[in-house]
Order: sequence, then C-alpha cells, then structure tokens
Amino acid sequence: MAGNKRLMKELAENQSTPPPGCKISLENDDDILLWNVTMTAPSDSIYAGGNFKILIKIPKEYPFKPPVLNFKTKVYHPNVTNDENGSMCLGMLRPDEWKPPNKISDVLKLVRTVLAAPQPDDAVEQGIADQYKNNRKEFEKVAKDWVNKYAK
Amino acid sequence: MTLRGMRRLEARRQMEESNFLLSKARSQNLNPPVDFRLLDYVTAYDDNLMCAICRCPFVDPVVLAECDHYFCRDCIRQSWGSTYSPSGPRGDCPQCRTPARLGTRSATSKILVNILDDLLVKCPKHEEGCPVSVKRGEVEDHMNIYCGYAYQECAGERCELPVRRKDADQGCLHFGVSCFDCHETMQKSTLENHWRSECAVRRVTCPRCNMHVLSKDLDSHNSETCEAVSIPCPGASIGCTSRSKRSQAQTHAKSCTFAKLAPVISSQKSRMDEQEAAQKLLSRKLEVLETGFGVMQGILYPKVSVEADDLAADESRIPFLDNSASERTLPPHHPRMFSGDSSGNALSPFDFPVPPTSRPSSAAPGVARRASPIGLPPSESAAALRQHDPIEAYNTNYDLASPGLPPPSTSGGPYVSPLHHLLSMHESLRDEMSRVNSALQELDGRHSMQTLNENLRTREEISYLGAQLAGLSRQVHWLTSTQLQRQSRSATPSAVAGSSSEMAGTSVEAAVNAVSTAATALRGAARMVSVGQGQSSSGSHGPMRRENSAEGRTKL
Repeated sequence: MAGNKRLMKELAENQSTPPPGCKISLENDDDILLWNVTMTAPSDSIYAGGNFKILIKIPKEYPFKPPVLNFKTKVYHPNVTNDENGSMCLGMLRPDEWKPPNKISDVLKLVRTVLAAPQPDDAVEQGIADQYKNNRKEFEKVAKDWVNKYAK
Repeated sequence: MTLRGMRRLEARRQMEESNFLLSKARSQNLNPPVDFRLLDYVTAYDDNLMCAICRCPFVDPVVLAECDHYFCRDCIRQSWGSTYSPSGPRGDCPQCRTPARLGTRSATSKILVNILDDLLVKCPKHEEGCPVSVKRGEVEDHMNIYCGYAYQECAGERCELPVRRKDADQGCLHFGVSCFDCHETMQKSTLENHWRSECAVRRVTCPRCNMHVLSKDLDSHNSETCEAVSIPCPGASIGCTSRSKRSQAQTHAKSCTFAKLAPVISSQKSRMDEQEAAQKLLSRKLEVLETGFGVMQGILYPKVSVEADDLAADESRIPFLDNSASERTLPPHHPRMFSGDSSGNALSPFDFPVPPTSRPSSAAPGVARRASPIGLPPSESAAALRQHDPIEAYNTNYDLASPGLPPPSTSGGPYVSPLHHLLSMHESLRDEMSRVNSALQELDGRHSMQTLNENLRTREEISYLGAQLAGLSRQVHWLTSTQLQRQSRSATPSAVAGSSSEMAGTSVEAAVNAVSTAATALRGAARMVSVGQGQSSSGSHGPMRRENSAEGRTKL
C-alpha cells in the first residue's frame, strides 16, 4: 500500500515535471506497474536525434525491489542487450545495489547519462564494449546507423 | 456510610470507564484507524520531512544509531525484512548502506515529531463532505469524537447499524426511501451520500466548460456538445490536420477547403467501392463462364494441329482465341461455302486477311482472303463446317495420303478430315499388326525349341526300345532254331520229345507274346512321336501366315 501510494505520487511528479528528455505514460491506464517512457537522446551524444522507447516494469514490492528496464527500440550500446528484450544493466538496478530511496526519475536520469557515456567495463554486450574501447569510429558508425534505422 | 458511598462511587467509575472503552472499541470498528500516508496534506512539506522509502512525511519516525538517517518505523522494518537479531532489528541503512540498528526511542528528536504533528491535513472523510482541516496529530481525535461524517452506532432501539455522527440525533434512519430524482430505493441514512456522489440525475459541473449538466449526460456532453473539447476538422479524412474547439469548429469548417470537399469525396468513394465490388462479381462470373465455354468448345470443336509448330504456339492461347487460331490452321476447303454466302449471311460480318496456308496444292486458286465466322459462335460454325465437310474433304485433300507429303500426325489429336482419320487409323493398325507379328514370332521360336527337346527324348527311348526288341527277337530266333534242331535230331522218341517240344512250344509262345507287347508299346511311342511332329508341323504354319500378313500389309 505504501509502495503504491509512493508510486502514484512519483507518477504524478514525473508527469507534471518529467526528467529531462523523457516523456512518461502508463502502458495500460489500469496498471500502474508498467510505465512507458520515450527518451530523447542527449543532443551531444552519438545517439542524438534518436527517440528510444523504454518499458519500465515495476515489481509489486517497489520500492524495496528495483524496477526492470527494457529498451523497446533497438540500440547499439554496450550496456543494453542486443535482443528483443533490450534489457539494460545499470549498477543501481541490481538487486543487491538497489536502495529503496532511489526514485524512478533518478533511474531515468542515470539511463540518459549512460546513453551519453557508455560504461564498457560494466557491459552486457562484451563485443560492443570491446569495439567501443578499441575501434571507436566503427562503433559510432554502427550506432548512428541503428539510430537512423530504428530510433527515428 | 462513607465506606458505602466510596464503594458506590468506585463502582460507578468502573462502569463509566468500561462504557467508554466499549464505545471507543465500537467506534473504532466503525471507523478504521487512520493511515497517515493516505492523508491529503494541506501544509506544504519539504523533502527533509519525507521518509526516503515511502515518500510521505514520517509516520512514527525512528533514527538509525550509526548514521542518523530517519525513516518511518514501518518502512525500515519492511526494508530489513525478517532479519532477526536478539539485540533488536538491524541491517544496512537503505540510504547509505552503513550497517546499522535502530536507536532508542528517546533518540528520535521531539522537535521533529512536533513538526510532523503540526502539519495540517484534510479530514479523511473530506470526500464525503467533511470540510475540516486538522493537525495531523489530532486527526484520530477528530475522527473519534468530532467529525460529523464519521460513523457511530445508531441511536434507534434494537438497531445496530452505523450512522453518521451528525445524523445521530435524528433517530433511527434505517428505513427504506426512494430518491425522488432517480427513483432508486435505499436507506434514508445513505440518501445524502447518494445525492452527493451516486445519483445519476444529480447536477455536476463539466470540468472543461464549467457548464452544469446531469451526471448521466456527462459522457455525451463531452463527446457531442461540450464547447471546450477540441475536435478534428470534418475534412480530417482527406488530409486536414487541424483540430479546434467545438465552439470554433464552425468557423474553421467554413474556411477549410478539405471540409467542403469531404462529403463529396466520401460519397464518390462509397460509389467507387460499390462499383468495384460489382465489377469484381462480374469478372468472377465472366471467368466462370469462360472456363465453361472453353470446356464446351474443347468437346465440340477439337483443336486442329497439322504442324508441330502451330501446335506449340497454340497451346498457350486461351480457349476463346484458340478458336480463330484453329480455324486458321484448317485446310481452306470451306471458302467456297463462305464466299458464296457471306455477302448475304449475317452470321459472318467480318472478313479479315489470313496468312497464306502452307499447302498450295489444296489452296483454291483466286481465294487470297477467306471469310471467318467471328460473329458466329465457334461451336455452331464448327458444326456447320462438319456438315459441309465430308465430300469436299475427300475431294480436295485426297492427295494428302500420297507419298512425299509429311505423314499425318498420329499424336491422337483431332483430324482434319475423315480421310486423315482413316489414314491414321490405318497406320496405327499397321503398327499394331507388326507388334502382334513380332510377338507371334517369338512364341513360335519358343514352341519349336520345346518340341525339339521333347522329340529328342522320345527318339532316344524309341531307339532303346528297338534295341531291346532286336535282342528279344534274336533270343526267340535262337530258341526256335534249337527247338527245330532237337525235333529233327530225335523224331522217333516222340514221347519224350513231345513233352519237351510242348515245353519248348509254351516258352516260344511266351516269347512271342512278349515280343508282341513290346511291339504295341513301340507303336504307342511311335504315335506319340507322330503327334509331337504334328504339333511342330502346325507350329511351322506360323511363318507362312506371317508371310501372308506381310503380303497383306504391302498390298495395303
């Protein structure tokens, strides 16, 4: 009950004053545990111009358990799995790292930061991370291709 | 006296106390305890008064002894879960991850608790009508003692249903009434709430245009009449993207070209759809008819294919066109008929040039063009052709059978004329004949081989029998000669000689008998052999017959 109240409050806050570059709505109007976020990539990043759809699944135990983030738009990024789930791995989203005081807007801010500056040492796609470290030009080319292909 | 008075006072005090406790317990049952997290706060509060976990002003705040972070007692318990330790609950601080335990109750600063209790909140029953805002610390008292919208027990005798505190002095209100707006039946005690928030015909205010409408009409008001709702231009279906409030929609529609065109275009579109559907139906029908027609034509008027090239070319055509193609390949033995009739014949209104046929021998001189019965249904024309054909066909095309011309097609297809038909039949019969001949020859060979083998065996047997017969006859000869010598040597001692001659006579008789049986056996064998020879001679008739048939073929 407390979690639900908090979630409603957070949703209201996020919708009235959304975090930078984000648009938040519910996937279904009667399910407060599924959030739909459209994130505009920072203009100084290689993903500039891309709009990424992110689905946030919030567990019933929130805020005691972390939400789960899925990129619905394909993105070439070392921290996002390159499959249909597009699972994102952030340090703060790991169950042992998650802290109840964290808010969803904090998570979204971090996502946007990671989008601008990938963390190859904390990667889920090792191949992309290696390319990011060793062959930055090629990485940027593919990433921009993907933005044009999927995120426009 | 004083003792009794004191006892009475004591008893009365106890009774009042128990009554109070009882009523309190009852009212708590009627009014659930207040959840501070669900209250609407009137006073603005900042993040410092907020629990980081539940994001509400602290409820029963506790402080962690190691890091001085504050949380609600419930939140920190829930966060730590069931990790039990004898020295009290402990775990990592949810905010800074320092291993921590709960401080003593006195460690929570009193000033924080006071600030929290001073926050103004709306009464939990404000949605049901209570207009009061109270300090958070006094909410429980308000609900239990003062709030007119809180429930208490009905004052009516033998009625235990809840009633709002403000209505308690009106006597028991638990009797049925019906709302005089919507005629729904309910209890008097709930009527006020019904008017307030449930009745379908109560007046509500549209949140957009501030107009008063009935509650049940609110939806239709929003979708049809509310002036403040923005609606798309009537020309949206053909491309106008503008939306305007309903009050301004008319002025927009007057200036918008799309809106003016929309009804015309939509009616055109519906008509087009109708036409398309009808056309689809018709084309389907046509298709069915064409296939049926093609089948019928195939039955009535078989396709003519004299030359292999034409056949290959014609196969790809659709049945209807095939008709003219097959006519083109017809030997032109009918132009006379059409050139004679076509002038007055309405059935052949078209003349068209035809490529010259490949058989100059059969082309009638002077006829470069020929009439084609396009206006005539092909099956009829074919039938007509058939009727007129036979004699002419024999006359004009008889020379087709003469050597030098390409042999008529035997592909089993239709034929130009009865003569062609006969010729091809003749040819196929000839083929059949030769096949039968070869089969017969093979049979002959096998048969004669068999007979030969059989004869060989029989002959061997006969020669063996003949040899035996010769041996026997020599023996008989020898016996008779010895008998004769003995008779001539002793003619006088006849008594003895008679008996011996008798003996010799019986033995000779037996020998003669044996010889005669052997002779009959030999005769039987000879008959068998002669029968075998007869068979082989009948087999030898085969080639002769074959020769006859070959002669017949050459004659044909």
